[in-house]
Amino acid sequence: MMENNVTTQQKTQGMTLVVKKICQFIAPTIFLFGIYVTIHGHLSPGGGFTGGVIMASAFIFQILSDGSILDKLRAEKWRLELTESLAIFTFLILAVLGLIIATTSVFFANFIPVGKLGDLISGGMIPIGNVIIGIEVCAAITSIFVALLIFKDEESL
Amino acid sequence: MILFVLCFILFMIGLYGVITQRNLIKIIIGLAIMEYSVILFLVLIGYIDGQTVPIISEGFEGGFVDPLPQAMVLTAIVIGLATKALMLSVAIRLYKKYGTFDIRKMKDLKG
Repeated sequence: MMENNVTTQQKTQGMTLVVKKICQFIAPTIFLFGIYVTIHGHLSPGGGFTGGVIMASAFIFQILSDGSILDKLRAEKWRLELTESLAIFTFLILAVLGLIIATTSVFFANFIPVGKLGDLISGGMIPIGNVIIGIEVCAAITSIFVALLIFKDEESL
Repeated sequence: MILFVLCFILFMIGLYGVITQRNLIKIIIGLAIMEYSVILFLVLIGYIDGQTVPIISEGFEGGFVDPLPQAMVLTAIVIGLATKALMLSVAIRLYKKYGTFDIRKMKDLKG
């Protein structure tokens, strides 16, 4: 029992103080850059998938530096899967709204007025879809990482 | 033309890694190198010398590189991510079963 406690404490320690502090500085910047790439997806290279991967890398930095606490990670995994499913569901609702509302009633039809070319708020449904895809990809990739981590910790116990 | 040859050389480096390495993680890295060389090849097919990115903006005068391989390559990258996650999870599973990443020691079928 005593040995078990020691090993779990060693496992939850994470990396050194320098790495933890640097990750605390860098991770919000990476997250902000991911949001930038996501909401500028219709104007510049990038978009939902790329921004989502960058946002997920911020979370992965935090998990790697702070060490894996198994119970907390299990709770986060449940929330991550819920977020991912809700994002997919919202995307489907957006597509069906195009089927219902728009004059040309096709799947994924645009029903929001397209603005001026080059503005941030333009492009109709494309930026909204980019944001939803970004949330979905961020949740999915963090979920993959957390699943691998939980699996690795379970095997060594 | 030299770029396509370099693509082929990159593919061969990945194939060499897959064939000669015995560590499972290194085999996965070799497969990833092969996949990236194919992605680079597909993007190079659509490249036209001296043209701009396929984004319509203010001072746009026409003439951009082919956007179709880029859209296809994005799908290939997503699928590559999923397959790499699957390969790594299988590698972890095999490590749990055999206690090693060496494929020479994985030949005995344990039930």
